[in-house]
Amino acid sequence: MGTQSLEPLPMSGPDFGALGEEAELVEVEPETKQEILENKDVVVQHVHFDGLGRTKDDIIMYEISDVFKAKNLIDVMRKSHEAREKLLRLGIFRQVEVLIDTCQGDDALPNGLDVTFEVTELRRLTGSYNTMVGNNEGSMVLGLKFPNLFGRAEKVTFQFSYGTKETSYGLSFFKPQPGNFERNFSVNLYKVTGQFPWSSLRETDRGISTELNFPIWKTNHTLKWEGVWRELGCLARTASFSVREESGHSLKSSLSHAMVIDSRNSTILPKRGALLKINQELAGYTGGDMRFLKEDFEFQLNKQLLWDLVFSASLWGGMLVPIGDKPSSIADRFYLGGPTSVRGFSMYSIGPQNEGDYLGGDAYWAGGLHLYTPLPFRPGRGGFGDLFRTHFFLNAGNLCNLNYGGGPRAHLQKLAEYIRWSYGAGIVLRLGNIARLELNYCFPMGVQSGDRICDGVQFGAGIRFL
Amino acid sequence: MWNEGCVLLMGCSAPFSLKAFLQMCNLPVRVVCRANAEYMSPSGKVPFIHVGNQVVSELGPIVQFVKAKGHSLSDGLDEVQKAEMKAYMELVNNMLLTAELYLQWCDDVTVEEITHPRYGSPYPWPLNRILAYQKQWEIRRKMKAIGWAGKSLEQVLEDVDQCCQALSQRLGTQPYFFNKQPTELDALVFGHLFTILTTQLTTDELSEKVKNYGNLTAFCRRIEQQYFEGHDKDNSGTAAPRSAKRSLLR
Repeated sequence: MGTQSLEPLPMSGPDFGALGEEAELVEVEPETKQEILENKDVVVQHVHFDGLGRTKDDIIMYEISDVFKAKNLIDVMRKSHEAREKLLRLGIFRQVEVLIDTCQGDDALPNGLDVTFEVTELRRLTGSYNTMVGNNEGSMVLGLKFPNLFGRAEKVTFQFSYGTKETSYGLSFFKPQPGNFERNFSVNLYKVTGQFPWSSLRETDRGISTELNFPIWKTNHTLKWEGVWRELGCLARTASFSVREESGHSLKSSLSHAMVIDSRNSTILPKRGALLKINQELAGYTGGDMRFLKEDFEFQLNKQLLWDLVFSASLWGGMLVPIGDKPSSIADRFYLGGPTSVRGFSMYSIGPQNEGDYLGGDAYWAGGLHLYTPLPFRPGRGGFGDLFRTHFFLNAGNLCNLNYGGGPRAHLQKLAEYIRWSYGAGIVLRLGNIARLELNYCFPMGVQSGDRICDGVQFGAGIRFL
Repeated sequence: MWNEGCVLLMGCSAPFSLKAFLQMCNLPVRVVCRANAEYMSPSGKVPFIHVGNQVVSELGPIVQFVKAKGHSLSDGLDEVQKAEMKAYMELVNNMLLTAELYLQWCDDVTVEEITHPRYGSPYPWPLNRILAYQKQWEIRRKMKAIGWAGKSLEQVLEDVDQCCQALSQRLGTQPYFFNKQPTELDALVFGHLFTILTTQLTTDELSEKVKNYGNLTAFCRRIEQQYFEGHDKDNSGTAAPRSAKRSLLR
């Protein structure tokens, strides 16, 4: 018998990310002269680790414990592969190679195997430096990362962006539970600035948040406390008075809970599966002067039909209920419209507005139906062409405020009248596993006075689309 | 309808000057108090007026704006008098305004006991402390830039005294600075003196300096009586906390 070694699968970088959904086990053809090893019973006697430096032993033990349970060779290979993936997702190794060999030595059993993991730890400090050029603004972005800080996959990241207009930074500490990587907590400190030209609003947030993630059965939960010092200002002298009235400082201290169930096979252009995200946020009972209860949900269903056609349906909705007599803040409200939301309308340009500045709404819903097909005549099949899809869509949605004194029935009624909707077709390009680009031709309908539309060709780029 | 946004925190003098000015012009005004008025203003300074679709801030531009609409108090003055009025207004702005800011933000006792609590009162902890300190650094930087940082309290009070002396001499026994009719200068001086006389501080030294000049206190009382009594029912106040209602007439 010779040594068997698993080829490391191509990884995009030392960071752990979603592994390619089409990851497959590399099978090795046994040579004809040798015995068929598949059904032969084996025992894993030793597991060696080469290359551990600052990583502590206990977290490694958790990840590889399954390897000892393998009963035959194929099982050993499969379990080693799984262990390798588990080690890589910790985000502390640049490379992990697996070697399976027969056991040598005095205590070796005739069917004993040794599995050796050869790992290369990430450096203690990695840095990155980028320059970015955006809308009339240039900035330098400096990133520092300390992976595996104390040996148990803790991570500290620091990002600093110094621009011609704004400066922002973020510092975050992440710690997983040894043996249960999906259970982790992180603490973040940040300052971010944003400019929202559709509302003539400028927002600067300085905040601190702590977050706890844990899985329960098939769902993923996140509990978070966040304290934010929020500063709102006008983006231009011509901002409307409603936006001017919202300028100033406020402090938001909120507890939130999010639940995610995701059975899709991919985050971008999934072929099957469903997604349900429910998020609630309660602000005001742990300090601060913003008091509200905010609920929102996101639902998506995908089904593959004949001939590579994929049908997808999605529904979003949300509600913001201010507690007490202070009205809701423009920075907490929901917005609707745009290439990532109801297509055919300008970015966040649906609903209540004042002198051309969109103020958002306290309640909204939005839905979409899509049909995805491969490009006609399938150019570039098997390669570049597979990243593209054509899609036909139907979007609808509505946004309104709740401060007119009606009850729940009146709210539902209000959301059901003056529905904005649109239909059209376009091309979608998938970027890696994170983002997508769309170029659509849209026909907006149900347009109300005050809405801004973008009929005809509309381009969109983002990570979350209706 | 003319609306005015003002912040009646720690005796800011400009809102009173503006209110006096608008009353003198016989223009109806509604005063609204908001905690975030400073941030609503396009220039970052209070007071500002919101008329129709326009927002104009600070006394100088507002006077110009009102003039463009056809109301002016200084039409009856000749060129020499107008120049004189401008000079006195500059004096008041440089001296009295800076002295008020100095006392509120650079005198440690006053800062700790009065200014910080008052400035931070609309906000929850820790925002009240952060914003108060931020404002303090900003004002102190400005003081350093104009050379007042090195001044002691006595020097500042001396300067106030000299300014009041100049104003008192100009006023003499006349009802207003330019004889029979009130002008912008009267509104401005009234705003500052009224603030100094009625703002609660840790020491009475500043108001004592003004009280030394009888004709100035009489002037303030007269203007208050003429333009503010009976107009106070137009006020609508929300958010910003106010201690006792201010008045020279007790």
